[in-house]
Amino acid sequence: MAWVTGLYLAYLFLPMGLLLVGSFGDAWFNTLLPTGLTGKWYTAVWDDRTFQRAFRVSLQVAVATCAITAAVGLPLAYAIYRTASRGVRAMARVVYLLPIAVPPLVLAFGFVLVFSSDELPYLGSIWVLIGGHVVLTLPYLLQTLVGDMRHLNLAELESAAESLGAGFARSFIDIVVPALRHSLASGLIMVAALSIGEFQLSNLVAGFLTRPYPVVLLQAFYGATGFACAATVILLVLALAAAVGGALTVRGAAAARSVAA
Amino acid sequence: MSTPAIELLGVDFSYPGSGAGVKGVDLAIAPGELLAVIGASGCGKTTLLKLIAGFLAADRGTIRIDGADMTAVPPRLRNLGVVFQSYALFPHMTAWENVAYGLKVRGVDGSVRRSRALATLDLVGLADFAGRRPGDLSGGQQQRVALARALVIEPRALLLDEPLSALDAARRLTMRDEIRRIQREHAIATVHITHDQEEALSMADRIALMIGGRIEQVGTPRELYDHPASRAVAAFVGHANLWDSRILAPDTVETPVGILRTLPHGCATGARVTVLVRPERVVPGPARDGVNGFAGRLLRDRFLGAMRRYDLAVAGAMITGETATSGPIEFVHIPPADIRILQDRP
Repeated sequence: MAWVTGLYLAYLFLPMGLLLVGSFGDAWFNTLLPTGLTGKWYTAVWDDRTFQRAFRVSLQVAVATCAITAAVGLPLAYAIYRTASRGVRAMARVVYLLPIAVPPLVLAFGFVLVFSSDELPYLGSIWVLIGGHVVLTLPYLLQTLVGDMRHLNLAELESAAESLGAGFARSFIDIVVPALRHSLASGLIMVAALSIGEFQLSNLVAGFLTRPYPVVLLQAFYGATGFACAATVILLVLALAAAVGGALTVRGAAAARSVAA
Repeated sequence: MSTPAIELLGVDFSYPGSGAGVKGVDLAIAPGELLAVIGASGCGKTTLLKLIAGFLAADRGTIRIDGADMTAVPPRLRNLGVVFQSYALFPHMTAWENVAYGLKVRGVDGSVRRSRALATLDLVGLADFAGRRPGDLSGGQQQRVALARALVIEPRALLLDEPLSALDAARRLTMRDEIRRIQREHAIATVHITHDQEEALSMADRIALMIGGRIEQVGTPRELYDHPASRAVAAFVGHANLWDSRILAPDTVETPVGILRTLPHGCATGARVTVLVRPERVVPGPARDGVNGFAGRLLRDRFLGAMRRYDLAVAGAMITGETATSGPIEFVHIPPADIRILQDRP
């Protein structure tokens, strides 16, 4: 068992390790490992205007996607959870999981068709990009939220609040939202990380000035190896940071609310 | 007679689609009374509690609380303290915040709220755990918090849904006494749903036994045990020898174990009845007057600490008995006064 685990971990981390090594290597041609130590590739990525813009776009898209999925996902998940009919619940589940099953490419073609029409000429706008990311990431948030609602036995918590005199709005604000804060945090981590790493759909719907980081990154592969490695490491760090940041924001907000109460 | 704390009149409810539910329930709980509702799972006892609490709306019938018609009133205005099977404590609040929530909703001032919550936690013996969250409390402690949360709002009645089922056996026994003590001290009418008949027998002032959505019998624990209204009640409450039998004479009945002498029973000769004999009424050894004695072979002998429960094979049927004596058992007798004849047939 131990060696299988070891092998798997090596398989998992070796490419990332090589990226890290490559990003600090001065030159890397036809050798097993690069030669020389340098930080110049990071400075090069940092100074590159295209990468700067892509970096900003990715952050904006990730933040907006998190905000919209949270605003849409929480009430939607609640509605799915509270639906009395088992059939409706099963159907809702199929519908909301559909974007996971359908390749992003298919979705992107749909977006291209709709938003390049004369009526809706918005292809290339950052909002179309955000919209696409919302569609792709919402299922993951819904899945997390609905699962945790069931796990927490939310309906019974609400019954308890009701028996203590709380109306619907009151119990939603006092009980439902705070009880789900960890769930929301972990769901949004996933949303942020997915949004930052998304390539397939972004590559097709992004405009020239709204290309997110992964799309621009592809261009780097045609240049120097060290530059490509450094740019990729940055993406990795960015995705991690977004995930951690997202988690902290939600927890901070929840903590602030409970102190205020 | 004073107004019942809770009164149900002809209450019907069925779940859409399944048809399960409760039918024609008439029930009155007196002020300060503890009524246990027992029955097998799926008999409708939790449905009954949800109807009283208002989580379900009755299809027909009337529900009164303190004499006022509450049939169409939402749960939040019924002022009933509910303790859920899973406790349903709010996971993001500490113990005292959980207890104080009902007061907060009622607009009770912050400092008053806190002191009343702490006083109620003290009542259930949890004053030292006020600052803990439910996740850091044991099952028994969570149970007490749930009880305190239901009590602090000074409800008109307490509804307990299988409150002890998630606790281990030892904890369950102490909580029985604890709930009973608090219920007595507050003289608060209580409906206690349980599938554990021993719990019901030991705690309740009266017991309502539900079978298939209907209330089969309501009475004191003793009445249910000694004078069950039907075979089903006898089978559910306590252990029982139940024999399909036929009346032979005004004081004789034919059972699968043999012919039994009874006290004059008033049943028509030839009628088919069920004979009930509680195991602890079966006496090892022959009777002095030789009545109702049976020789048999010991099939099973279970040692249960204070007593043993044995099965004696007699003429193709079986007599289950309980005794505190040790030693072999080959012969038993059943005193005629301890034989009950139930009119209904299986």
